Amino acid sequence: MGTLHQPGPGFLFFWIGIVTAILALIVVLMSLKKPSPEAIQERLFGKGHVTKIVLVLLSLFLYALLIERLGFLIVTLLFFIFLLGVIEKKKWLSTVSISLIVTAVSYLVFETGLQSQLPKGLLDFLRF
Amino acid sequence: MIEILQSVTYGFQVALQPHNLLYCFFGVLIGTLVGVLPGLGPAAAIALLLPTTFKITPVSATIMLAGIYYGAMYGGSTTSILVNIPGEAASVVTCLDGYQMALKGRAGPALGIAAFGSFIAGTFAVIALTFVGPLLSNIALAFGPPEFFSLMIVGITVLTYLSSGSMVKALMMAGVGLILSGVGMDTISGKYRFTFNIQTLLDGVGVVPVAMGLFGISEVLLNLETEIKRDILTTKVKDLFPTLKDWADSVWSIVRGSVLGFFLGIIPGGGAVVASFASYAIEKKASKHPGEFGKGAIQGVAGPESANNSAAGGSFIPLLTLGIPANPVMAILLGALMIHGLQPGPLLMKNAPDLFWGTIISMYIGNGMLLVLNLPLIPLWVKVLKVPYYLLYPLILLFCLIGAYSLDNTVGDILIMIIFGILGFLMKKLRYDGAPMILALVLGQKLETSFRRSLIMSQGDFSVFITRPISLGFLITAVLLLIIPIITQRKKLSTLEAE
Repeated sequence: MGTLHQPGPGFLFFWIGIVTAILALIVVLMSLKKPSPEAIQERLFGKGHVTKIVLVLLSLFLYALLIERLGFLIVTLLFFIFLLGVIEKKKWLSTVSISLIVTAVSYLVFETGLQSQLPKGLLDFLRF
Repeated sequence: MIEILQSVTYGFQVALQPHNLLYCFFGVLIGTLVGVLPGLGPAAAIALLLPTTFKITPVSATIMLAGIYYGAMYGGSTTSILVNIPGEAASVVTCLDGYQMALKGRAGPALGIAAFGSFIAGTFAVIALTFVGPLLSNIALAFGPPEFFSLMIVGITVLTYLSSGSMVKALMMAGVGLILSGVGMDTISGKYRFTFNIQTLLDGVGVVPVAMGLFGISEVLLNLETEIKRDILTTKVKDLFPTLKDWADSVWSIVRGSVLGFFLGIIPGGGAVVASFASYAIEKKASKHPGEFGKGAIQGVAGPESANNSAAGGSFIPLLTLGIPANPVMAILLGALMIHGLQPGPLLMKNAPDLFWGTIISMYIGNGMLLVLNLPLIPLWVKVLKVPYYLLYPLILLFCLIGAYSLDNTVGDILIMIIFGILGFLMKKLRYDGAPMILALVLGQKLETSFRRSLIMSQGDFSVFITRPISLGFLITAVLLLIIPIITQRKKLSTLEAE
């Protein structure tokens, strides 16, 4: 923390935290006082596609968790097949062909072209 | 004067090197594409493409990333005019009259005047930048830590003042951004803060993954919830060159838009979006036939489209001369420069003249390229717009994932991005503005260092911030901006949007 005249590592953040908390309190109080008409009309999750959003988020998290284990190529292929085939319910033939093309092109652009050093994972033995 | 001339020639030498020309071309081309595509703005695009610049020099990288920004300003108008959906936020107002013009079969002149107006305004902004930049840089050389601290406080305050929603919420977001910036190692004492023993957080929360989440992922999530319906005008686009009458009608709108945009671009929190709205309002007031606005008035296209380009140019000034970004896009660019090992600020012009002048001059060239490119490529952009969203969003997501991973080759950045994607989605629903958060996050470390250096300098005496006149001036401005909305009813931008 440090003192007022010799602030330590926590000093500034302590006060910013307090100010932000006060601001949050103001927002809460204001919304209690007079609820804004917009907020009532618009529910947080309208009649939109909530399941779709959850599924997309799930696939993003899975991508993050699996990329280093399975490698870029496999995960990207699965990611696209999942998004196009399962979530968007496209025909399987077009799903698989689009996914293959996207995976190959993105690998060529980022790994071969830009040398991004994407993880190879399971396919490490191929050494290409 | 001679000095500037020399610098400009030097800038041309840098910018005209073949590889830099190529990157400039890539930048403006990608920028236009990003501008044309709704749901992907320049902020997300720059964050996404940053990892692709790691293998090239900082100069080429900055030239390309800058090109994406002003290129997007050109591209946005195309979608607004032809589809009535803004390609990016700064082209929202162009929908009003641009689409009406297109309905009347005047899509050609609308696109033409938008491109020419953008070119004139863009060039004006770069010329002004050439002269104002070094001037401001020299003034800022005299700034010490207290001045920088106060300047950053003003910057953040102006941004929250101008942000579209509630100011209390905007200030809160700035506070959250500052706290986020404290994650990781404290540069002065070497102690770790807010890391909760999580490996990823030891290095801090990066601006780039946060920006990708807030502006990229969350945008995709929003679009998934309410799918956009697109009706592309199928009429043939002809007569791209505006007639003499069109020119006569819009020449003053372009001039006004250029000047207004430039100054709004310099101010923190101003930027292209505010400039385009302000220009539309002014054109409507200045017009002899305000009734024509909203029914296809060419001034309603020429003014805002000039203003947003000019603002894009102007917003480079605070970044290149003070190291203070005026809007989220510049905040990401600042992050990009720091990753490339550069420290933007008043010393940038001296320490990296190739970057400073090369980037500025490349903007002249890039604006020229855009004018030549834009009009003939319009049929291509129309085709791009026909790419269905079920194909587009997986690609955007994949780009985000690869981009976040290759920042540092860690999964941690991907997770940060996804988490801020969810957060950004909720923030948009509850009307919290992401811009103050990004700005505070990118400025946080500098703000803290200058704060603590000031106090070390004054041996713990807080009066150091108010006894130095420049610093005092900044702080008074900040306090006024905080008080004014309480006393008077602040005329919000949102009311302007509603008009």
